[in-house]
Amino acid sequence: MTPSCGQIRGRFDDYSAEALTREQRRAVREHLASCEECRRVAAAADPLFLFAGAAEPPVPPAEISRILEGVRSGIAWKQAERRVEAPSRRRRWSILGAAAAALLLTLLAPGAPPRRDAPAAVAGPRQSADTGFAPAAIAPPQAPGVTSGTQKFPADATIYDFNPGAGQPRVVWIVDRSIDI
Amino acid sequence: MELIYSENRRREEVGQLPDRELAIQARGGDMVAFEALVVRKTPSVVAVARRIVGNLEDARDVAQLSFLRVWEQLSRYDETYSFNTWLYRIATNLAIDFLRSARSREKAHTATLHLVRMRESETGNETTRAAEDDSASRLFQKVAGRLTGKQKAAFVLRELEDLETSEIAEILNCGESTVRNHLFNARRALRREIERISPGLSRRRDQRDKVEP
Repeated sequence: MTPSCGQIRGRFDDYSAEALTREQRRAVREHLASCEECRRVAAAADPLFLFAGAAEPPVPPAEISRILEGVRSGIAWKQAERRVEAPSRRRRWSILGAAAAALLLTLLAPGAPPRRDAPAAVAGPRQSADTGFAPAAIAPPQAPGVTSGTQKFPADATIYDFNPGAGQPRVVWIVDRSIDI
Repeated sequence: MELIYSENRRREEVGQLPDRELAIQARGGDMVAFEALVVRKTPSVVAVARRIVGNLEDARDVAQLSFLRVWEQLSRYDETYSFNTWLYRIATNLAIDFLRSARSREKAHTATLHLVRMRESETGNETTRAAEDDSASRLFQKVAGRLTGKQKAAFVLRELEDLETSEIAEILNCGESTVRNHLFNARRALRREIERISPGLSRRRDQRDKVEP
């Protein structure tokens, strides 16, 4: 028995009673890992010394690679989930936003949109810019469709022209009254 | 032609960085840093999880889930705290949850039944020899079936990872006195179980249990 063994054995009771510092505890464990005789004495004193510093079998590199691959797959899956969820959330909000905007514009328009059975208005000069958002043109009833540039609108379409003016961007809102319910 | 970016070189670079620095870089979206953390920490996470859940297969699942959870929550990582403590907290909680699941309860019950049958069928000498010959890891799995998840986690973090009471308290999200209680109860239960299967190994159990608080 070396003096070191004697010192270590003198700490067994304190080790079991959780009365050692981390350094002292580590010294006991390291000694036990290298001294078979002290390990036997320690286990006889308290069988829990069998677990003191007992290392788990090392994880082989192949196992670490498998775990890493599993983590990569999990991350890829999570990222895919996020990609799928994010647009649908955006789409839901954009639909709600568009509906709210349409409602707001309808309520704030200076004149109520002409009813479908109202006398047909003649396509005239555009409303002045200060009226903001107003019907700009109503398609002539006799025409099966109104062609504007390359676009063809239904006969009952009401075309709203927002803030028309030279150099200003035009925002055109077309209400197809033929599909009114 | 100059090589501007090499992933191998990058892996070698991040391999030298301490855990906290790697975690900060991973938090910034650096996957090479994150994977370096996974590779570095897998052995200890698997070891702790294996002691808690009882087998390598489940421990591997717990480790994967832990790292996935780490990746998901990296934005919440506060670098003023130890990365190890944070990681162990996630892994230990997942392992305890795993243990609580019906599947794990069934496995623990099976292990206990196996223990009882082994005791009934073998003589004292044979069980003593079996216990002595068994590796500490396997013995622990045999006798730890009666511990609660937190008792097991506290004991494993103390004996395997050599953590202080304050660190274990932080990981288990409880007070230091609770950790001491967990450790005391775990030690007492383990001694009893060891004595059940191997009476010769626990000569001083009764005396020690009287002395301990």
